[in-house]
Amino acid sequence: MPYRPLIQRLGRLGLAALTLAGSPLLAEDSADARARWHQAIGDRYALLAEAGARLETSAHAYCEAPGREHRARLEDDWLDAYQAWQAVRFVDFGPIEQRSRAWQLQFWPDTKNLVGRKVQAWLRADTPPSIEAIADGSVAVQGFPALEYLLFDEHLASSEALAAPQACGLLQSVSGHLADTGAALVRDWQAFGDHYRGTDSYTAATLQAGLQTLESLEDKRLAEPLGMAGPPANGYRAEAWRSGRSVRLIAASLAGLQDSFLPGLRPLLAEGGQAELADDFAATLDAARQRATAMAPGLAPSLDDPEAFAELQGLYVEIGQLSWLGQRIAGQLGLVSGFNASDGD
Amino acid sequence: MPARRELLKAGLIGLTSLGLPGLGLAAKGPAGDWLFSAADDAEGHRVLGYVPATGERFRIGVSERCHGGCRRPGRTQAVLFARRPGRSMHVIDTTARRELARIEAPAGHHFYGHGVFSPEGRHLYATVNRIADGAGLIHVFDAQRDYAHHTELDLQGIGPHELRLMPDGATLAVGLGGIRTHPDYGRVKLNLDDMAPALLMVDRVSGEVLERHAPSHPQLSCRHLDVGADGTLIAGYQFQGPAWERHPLLLRRGPGGDVGEIALPDGLTDELRHYTASIAVARDAPRVLVTAPRGHRVVLIDSRDGRLVASHALPDAAGALADGQGGFWVSSGRGDFYRVAADGAPPERLEHLALSWDNHLT
Repeated sequence: MPYRPLIQRLGRLGLAALTLAGSPLLAEDSADARARWHQAIGDRYALLAEAGARLETSAHAYCEAPGREHRARLEDDWLDAYQAWQAVRFVDFGPIEQRSRAWQLQFWPDTKNLVGRKVQAWLRADTPPSIEAIADGSVAVQGFPALEYLLFDEHLASSEALAAPQACGLLQSVSGHLADTGAALVRDWQAFGDHYRGTDSYTAATLQAGLQTLESLEDKRLAEPLGMAGPPANGYRAEAWRSGRSVRLIAASLAGLQDSFLPGLRPLLAEGGQAELADDFAATLDAARQRATAMAPGLAPSLDDPEAFAELQGLYVEIGQLSWLGQRIAGQLGLVSGFNASDGD
Repeated sequence: MPARRELLKAGLIGLTSLGLPGLGLAAKGPAGDWLFSAADDAEGHRVLGYVPATGERFRIGVSERCHGGCRRPGRTQAVLFARRPGRSMHVIDTTARRELARIEAPAGHHFYGHGVFSPEGRHLYATVNRIADGAGLIHVFDAQRDYAHHTELDLQGIGPHELRLMPDGATLAVGLGGIRTHPDYGRVKLNLDDMAPALLMVDRVSGEVLERHAPSHPQLSCRHLDVGADGTLIAGYQFQGPAWERHPLLLRRGPGGDVGEIALPDGLTDELRHYTASIAVARDAPRVLVTAPRGHRVVLIDSRDGRLVASHALPDAAGALADGQGGFWVSSGRGDFYRVAADGAPPERLEHLALSWDNHLT
């Protein structure tokens, strides 16, 4: 693995930066950054809600008149909405924590194939579930991976399979629940606004959320399926492996960080005399996003294609650099890596 | 200079905060004793043994992330539990500095990460989840028979977490979190709309639930608690509802059995971000320390009336333990180890280790 030493080196430097972080430079009053974040993240939740509503409409249209055109539209709208979710997925606090909504939208990782098992269980039932039954049921069947199963799994490969009443009923109810979740997030994010803007500790929480996302992009979403984390490469460890859209989702996450993480990050760094670091980060983020957008959409299919695999390695290295810049930012801002803060019990 | 003020105020006690090891204080309290913590370092998950007075320490590699633990009275043993939904507990011997035994939860069960011994150190009470139906139980293990599973107590509720033995030696105080999880779903909380958390008082022999105190809101998950020598009990909540709501995060049960919630000042409540982690009640002073890692704070209150004594910034605060000398030890995910005095003086960093201290100190 030619890139490995580089990554290890970057990793070590990153760790050093965190450990050396001295007195916190986080401005006492970072309300301005939070105001920007609240607006930008709210915009992204609104996009998610709109995309969710379109997806629900497409699901109904397909079920009323199954056909190639409606099917293509449905798949497009599913990916659009899934990407809209990726863009705001880095936010791990506030309304998204309620009712385990992040898990509802995307049950992943799914090492036990609960998504497949729960969808199959509904397909075998006598009547399709209502939206309420989906809302009260398993978290594994409330979001994008369940829809992906219906749209792309080999069990539903024949063209009529999804048009069958049971499958289509499930498709519509899951889409409907997903649209409800998006709408609730928009409403609750607004209700959360005053509290978020007025509470200092959310500055660190938001920074942490963005930087943590870079780490999970690097480790969970790339290194593990690519076989760079120890165990051999395994395409099933990638998100959206059924549809072969793993890299599209990564691109959407990067775009979301550009649109809704940078706006608050920039003024914070500028205030600390680190405008250059902000520029470096923004440029690297943009380069990674462009690279991911131009690549083949899937990850698993590229594992056996040396050229495509090299592309993935390149993306992995670029995100590694981004992650390293993130560590430097954490160090400069005196951000505490929240071992207990982010994952207590 | 907090150290000097202490020195003037309390003589010898000040010497420990100056970092002078031992000085004979070891025999008087836990200062010379081992304490234990789950930790993560560069090589993975660990159980750490540590003596604050001397800095002596050892690490034992474990296969999964651990959580809380308890010491075995009368022995140089401690038991540390795997973190939810782990299935192992590790019996550590401080003399040998090694793991004596690793015990698995009975089939179909997992630990919640906490346990407590009976006064004579024979029976170990551990909170567990019966996976099939999510029933919250206490499993009782017999330490004299290689920690064989002895019996179980049904708590008639979901998600028991930390537990302590009351000074009467007969009653267990249990934080019932109310949150349903299932190993198939990892750590996903499955019933946030339908929680029934409580502070429970349970007869450790009969298993009878003697008292059940529901928090003021059903999404206040009652998780961690500690008990003082006079029976004053403080429990901490984690709120699972909307982040912009404001709810009290602490519950107090007085020595006479009176129960009431403690509301901290509004601004402070907001900064804690609905999350309390470790609770430590001093044995020798009317003080309680609460760690709040999401707010990166520790809060010191008067255990008699819930009055706020101090609130200190402490990055990634994790475990807390009364030091037996009027103060507290506090660990952090950043590797730092502090002493926090009972008088409100700022935390004093005693040690930095290249590891992340996990949630609790034992």
